[in-house]
Amino acid sequence: MSVAEIEARELKLESAGGGLWRDALYRLVRNPGAIVGFVLVAAFVFVAVFAPWLAPYHPLDQDLDAIAAGCCPGPSSEHWLGQDDLGRDEMSRLIYGARYSLLICIVAVSVGLSAGLLLGAFAGYFRRTDGLIMRVMDVMLAIPGFLMAIGIVALFGGGGLVPVMIAIGVVNIPIFTRLMRGSILAQRDNDYVLAARAVGVPSRKVLASHILPNAISPVIVAATLALATAIIDAAGLGFLGLGPQDPATPEWGTMLVGTIRYLQTAPFLAIFPGICIVIAVMGFNLIGDGLREALDPKLRGRS
Amino acid sequence: MLRFAVRRLLLLVPILIGLSLLVFIWIRALPGSPAESLLGERATEESIAQIRDQYGLEDPFYEQYWRYVQTIGSGDLGTSIASRRPITEEIKDRFPATIELAVGAMLFATLIGIPLGFIAAKRHGSPIDHASLFLSLIGVSIPIFFLAIVLKWVFSVELGWLPSIGRQDVLIEAEHPTNFYILDGIITRNWEATWDAIKHLILPAIALGSIPLAIIARITRASVLDVQNEDYVRTARAKGISNRAVDARHVLRNAMLPISTIVGLQVGLLLSGAILTETVFAWPGIGTWLQAAIENRDYPVIQGGVLFVAIVVVFVNLLVDISYGLLNPRIRLAGR
Repeated sequence: MSVAEIEARELKLESAGGGLWRDALYRLVRNPGAIVGFVLVAAFVFVAVFAPWLAPYHPLDQDLDAIAAGCCPGPSSEHWLGQDDLGRDEMSRLIYGARYSLLICIVAVSVGLSAGLLLGAFAGYFRRTDGLIMRVMDVMLAIPGFLMAIGIVALFGGGGLVPVMIAIGVVNIPIFTRLMRGSILAQRDNDYVLAARAVGVPSRKVLASHILPNAISPVIVAATLALATAIIDAAGLGFLGLGPQDPATPEWGTMLVGTIRYLQTAPFLAIFPGICIVIAVMGFNLIGDGLREALDPKLRGRS
Repeated sequence: MLRFAVRRLLLLVPILIGLSLLVFIWIRALPGSPAESLLGERATEESIAQIRDQYGLEDPFYEQYWRYVQTIGSGDLGTSIASRRPITEEIKDRFPATIELAVGAMLFATLIGIPLGFIAAKRHGSPIDHASLFLSLIGVSIPIFFLAIVLKWVFSVELGWLPSIGRQDVLIEAEHPTNFYILDGIITRNWEATWDAIKHLILPAIALGSIPLAIIARITRASVLDVQNEDYVRTARAKGISNRAVDARHVLRNAMLPISTIVGLQVGLLLSGAILTETVFAWPGIGTWLQAAIENRDYPVIQGGVLFVAIVVVFVNLLVDISYGLLNPRIRLAGR
């Protein structure tokens, strides 16, 4: 190997080490799965945000004449995805439904994330609180997540959008608490933390500006995957009738509730909302997997 | 090893105390008081006061909690308001149904997931590998209840191959000594009933098994890929041992360790999924029972049922931990 070649290699190594985030981004955009994920999620968010302009009909407009001949009219040139049991345009309802799923998953994960990060950071950094916090998390993890979500919704005396968001958020708390604590414990004894402490940086500041930024990458991955699970769980709660209390609300899970009755005549009423859920969830899962690979320190510098 | 098991067992004590406390507080935080739900429409102020007095609801919090722990400790979980039957009786009826479903789902997931992950790893980068990755992506992205509805539509409604609700056809006469219907059929040598119970189990088991299948296939693939490059595998191949024997004795056996942990960790997930699967297929298990209880505010059932399910999850996790120690010589011998 000539000197020039070695220099070229060193140069490449240096440029590859351009900070964790730039490096991760570089690997993320070269991952075809992650790109597909971004496209799916972008489409999902776009539809949710611009629903009123995209939907050909209002999601609550009923056309009872259309169902006079029986349930339910399938796809046609006026109603691309058919009409439901009250003659409402299925496509418009699905488009508006994206808003509910997006809202629920973002709020729910934010609730779980912020509470989980706070508790995890406390447990990891202030050792006296560790035992109590982690035992509480153990207890929460012993109850199957979806059952706990149902239980929390019940505390609000029935379903609703807000109870669903809070319930799914709370179920996520132990996941983030454990992750954050583990991450912080791994960072705590690093030299740079010791150095910061030695020069007298207060512990709150050590936590906020030294430990957190380094402990955060597994949390980002988990949060992305949690968005996917939140959409599924929200739809599941909606399917059990615990979603938005007005059954006319075009929430994807709630839309599936009555469709079992029409499986014989109008299976598309069950299939289309289901496919919407799968697409949105798959998008977040693909991004999460891509992020996991991109942020994995074991893979850093390789590309 | 024994010390490890005892230590793990002792760790259970705070969890069980915490669980009972959590369920106890939760029940009291639910809207609508137990007295009102007991009396229903007939509630007057005096009768509510009488019930509150009778059940000791006016006593201090810690006294009520202590009484609650004592009652549970004696194995009494209370009586259902809806059916007027003891909770323990109801669990005896319904838990076998859920176990049957969960075992069916786990069998489906492992019998397909492990070979799929193994083949994918062996043919790393091939179309089979990509297909298995895609399949597991679908598996974790599809809501259980949606998959259940699709299966029901295709195989019961359209093709008519499999029954769509319940555990057994009502027209079939069968005895149920254990309440595990497939097992019952075999014990009583009633093959018609056995076959019918199996047919009823197939679709729900596939629906419930889809997520574990995806996770198991992924973990198997990753773990086989890892183990394949280990020195001991290369040594075994260099010694001239046949590929088959290397795969079976060296690769798969070592790859099984992470797989077995994952299988154990699915229990909570299975019980969560059971609620939705049972709802779609009208499966008379713990899931539909708890779901109905929450809807009807049947407090004793919720209280007893949630506690029971949580205790099952805790104990299964304990068993997984201990068996992991037994399986893995590195942990088993570490204590010596």
